[in-house]
Amino acid sequence: MTRLILTRLAQLPLVLLAVYTLTLALAWAIPGNPLENSERRPPPEVEAAMKAQYNLDSFASFYWSYLDSATGLRAARDHFSGRSDAERQRLADLHLAPPPRRVFDLGPSLQYRDQRVSEIIAGSLPVSAQLGVIAIILAILIGTPAGVLGGVRPGTWIDSLSLAIALIGISLPSFVTGTLLVLVFPVWLGLGKVGGWGSLSQMLLPALTLSLPFAAYIARLTRMGMVEAMSSDYVRTARAKGLPESAVVMRHALKNAALPVVSYLGPACAMAMTGSFVVERVFNVPGLGQHFVNAVQNKDLFLIIGVVLVFSTMLVLFNLVVDVLYRWIDPRIKV
Amino acid sequence: MWRLVLPLITLIAAIALSAAADRPLPRADFTFINRGDVTTLDVHQMSWMMDLRMARLLCEGLVRPNIFTREYTLEPAAAESLPEISPDGRTYTFHLRQNARWSNGEPVTARDYLFSWRRAMLPENSTDYTTLFWLMEGGREFFDLRTADLKAHAERAKSLSAVERHAAAQALWEKSCADFDRLLNLHAPDDHTLVFSLTRRVPYFLDLMSMPVFYPVYPPLVTAHDSVDPDSARVKTDPSWTKAGTFITNGPFRLSVWRFKRDMRLEANPHYWNLAALNVRTIAIPTVEDPNAAVMAFRTGAVDWVSDVNTGYRGELISQKEAYYADHRAEYAPLASQALDPIEIDRHLPPDPRATMHAYPAFGTYFYNFNCRPKLPDGRANPFADPKVRRAFAMSIDKQVLARDVRRSGEVATDVLIPPGSINGYRSPRGLSFDPAQGRALLAEAGYPDPAKFPAVEILFNKDSGHDLIAEFIARQWQSNLGVPVQLLTKEIKVFRDDLRSGTFMTSRAGWYGDYGDPTTFLEINRTADGNNDRGYSNPAYDALLDRAESERDAGARLELLHEAERMIVEDEVPLIPLFVQNNFYLFDAHRLSGISSHPRSEQQLFRVDVLGDGKGADKALALPPRKPMVNDNGRSP
Repeated sequence: MTRLILTRLAQLPLVLLAVYTLTLALAWAIPGNPLENSERRPPPEVEAAMKAQYNLDSFASFYWSYLDSATGLRAARDHFSGRSDAERQRLADLHLAPPPRRVFDLGPSLQYRDQRVSEIIAGSLPVSAQLGVIAIILAILIGTPAGVLGGVRPGTWIDSLSLAIALIGISLPSFVTGTLLVLVFPVWLGLGKVGGWGSLSQMLLPALTLSLPFAAYIARLTRMGMVEAMSSDYVRTARAKGLPESAVVMRHALKNAALPVVSYLGPACAMAMTGSFVVERVFNVPGLGQHFVNAVQNKDLFLIIGVVLVFSTMLVLFNLVVDVLYRWIDPRIKV
Repeated sequence: MWRLVLPLITLIAAIALSAAADRPLPRADFTFINRGDVTTLDVHQMSWMMDLRMARLLCEGLVRPNIFTREYTLEPAAAESLPEISPDGRTYTFHLRQNARWSNGEPVTARDYLFSWRRAMLPENSTDYTTLFWLMEGGREFFDLRTADLKAHAERAKSLSAVERHAAAQALWEKSCADFDRLLNLHAPDDHTLVFSLTRRVPYFLDLMSMPVFYPVYPPLVTAHDSVDPDSARVKTDPSWTKAGTFITNGPFRLSVWRFKRDMRLEANPHYWNLAALNVRTIAIPTVEDPNAAVMAFRTGAVDWVSDVNTGYRGELISQKEAYYADHRAEYAPLASQALDPIEIDRHLPPDPRATMHAYPAFGTYFYNFNCRPKLPDGRANPFADPKVRRAFAMSIDKQVLARDVRRSGEVATDVLIPPGSINGYRSPRGLSFDPAQGRALLAEAGYPDPAKFPAVEILFNKDSGHDLIAEFIARQWQSNLGVPVQLLTKEIKVFRDDLRSGTFMTSRAGWYGDYGDPTTFLEINRTADGNNDRGYSNPAYDALLDRAESERDAGARLELLHEAERMIVEDEVPLIPLFVQNNFYLFDAHRLSGISSHPRSEQQLFRVDVLGDGKGADKALALPPRKPMVNDNGRSP
């Protein structure tokens, strides 16, 4: 187990380097000047100076300078050359608090000049994580019972109903379900709030909207597992022992049927936490998802790379957690 | 089973705990939606409207226009009085207010301005408005010298050790500071006097100085966040200096909360010299990106002002406002005939949710570009290089129909480039009116007797914001009124801008917003090789007119020259077709809110805002004085 965790963690930097290189190459190829505002255009010498501020004048200089600061090499150099100490002394002489130390510097946002990418992510990732986790919990709470109901009695009307609802859940885009939920709960019934983030009542509707496709998928996975488990030898044995049906289903069949669901939860968590752009837009949630789309539209290179790196890290980590959970739930499995 | 359930329970507990942390703030005196989130609060980096709006709340320049005068009269702000200007118009002497304070209580001194302007002039801080400082004596030289020095340093730094590089970069910064003092004729003889000179007489320089790029920043704060990069020798300010709790400003308000993409909160700056004049003490600015959500927030009473109504049903809101006026025709007509401020008119009519939609002309024009270069990008001869052809096309668009039936947003069709009535004392030319018969005749005269044989006209546009509807309308107008073949070409915005810049188009949608109260803010974009001359238009006679205006000392004669220049653009040469004056779209209740100006220059100074009847502040409604009749060359109102 320890070996598995260590190997995966050791691979992470390599994965990130590859992702960084690919993302930058793609993002660099997006046409347009990221520093261009509105319809106004400064003279060429000013424009050259603007680009130079952010090392945007050449791919190579951007590539290396980003690596330099993002990996912490620059901070380390400053530290060992005594530069950061000199800097601190200077500020102390001025009676001013120094700006926060940054070891892994993901750079500034080109669109939001007063924000560093790390600050943007630090501000919005917790929101997306909350939203994503609530959505996944809801998805499990909705999806598993629906799958069990269908899987226990395949071919009956309950099964068809749960399959039909799952199909709708997967096919309907969140801007439709989100708008419908807003219409039904806050507008018609006066329940819950529209927009904003903070209280549980504000979190519920966006989380529900986000959870529906995941719930549907979990329902399908659980049903599949249940159908298979219900016809297996150990379920027959359990029944032969005279166990009540509920114990057979809950204790014996579901435990095995849940394994594919658990392995799906890894990527699902990562997706729920980062892929909530539409839900965030509909409910005005200040999460990370919006930056995936807006950063590309604005050609905000630092932000694009920042959010992609965060997403990749999350994907790797969640898969790792799932693999660990998997072995914990089912000790037979050797990874 | 518990192995499955335990992780789930842990997660639920974690969520419940984290949700308990957020607590809402009490309602502010004034709440508005500022169109997306602010991109920067660094006054030297701004160019977006929502940022400039914040600058005017948090910071203060030497002068500012009074937005409740038709003339947009400049008034002293952080300065005690308007400056003394030398007879040659080049040297300005400002006296600062003795009681002007930073939000930490320190006095604002003339040296703070020296520091701030030096920062704004650095190549490493350059932005859209850097070139305004080149009007100052030595500004351009300083920029070029530092640019060259930085380049030389970057070359040299490769062969230096880390320690040497750092020392060299620091030395270069000290040299540049000395260069600045030597090259710029910019002095602070004492704490409250500021003297500088310009390269030439610039009649509108004072107007420029009301722009945030000329506002001061607090030197100790910026210095604390500045660091010299040893490799490039550039001085960079760490962006954390504008965060709430750190930011120090000299304006009417100070920043108390800034949660990125959530909200911003301001409170009155207790050290502001004119604190007593403020009518609200706290301002909340929630971030609402979705246009529909913004309207909903206003409808439910959560916000007092929406700065940009951009929903798909904006046209309906505007029609409802018209219906409201129609319902109250008897009261409305006499008020409108007195040319009262539309906000004042609304205050005389009964309150109604329909009346809260406001559409006022902005300081910008929507137009279409012709590529005026002799050759098209693919090497073919360009039919639009001939002014006759351009005139023919310009006369074949029925702009009234465009504004009324296609835009449906209350905009006013225009035949001129500079929004009429926006610049005090300036008379608009007549422009070309809709005359398709004349257009066909001109086209034949230009060598295209059979319009069907005219090279296929391409219209380049980007799809957002209704540009597609306008492009389709114009294509149909040219097809039916002139009989020429037309193709639509839509591109994503960044690609669209690249194509405009490189001249890869035949005709394209375009627009321009003025920066300051002088016709040159619109006219310079047609000067040969101007950075914003996407049309590639070049006419020595036009350039000469602008040059003559530049050296003309008599204000009236100067405006006449500029009038002639605009006439040349919109009547003879037509490198662009003006279509309509852009509008601002606001939501607010005129009975409840005062301080929003409907002036065509469209600047808002939100520290003037007063929520009427809240018992705080003066509770007195502000409005522009009645409009004076406008007359153009034709003798009729445009």
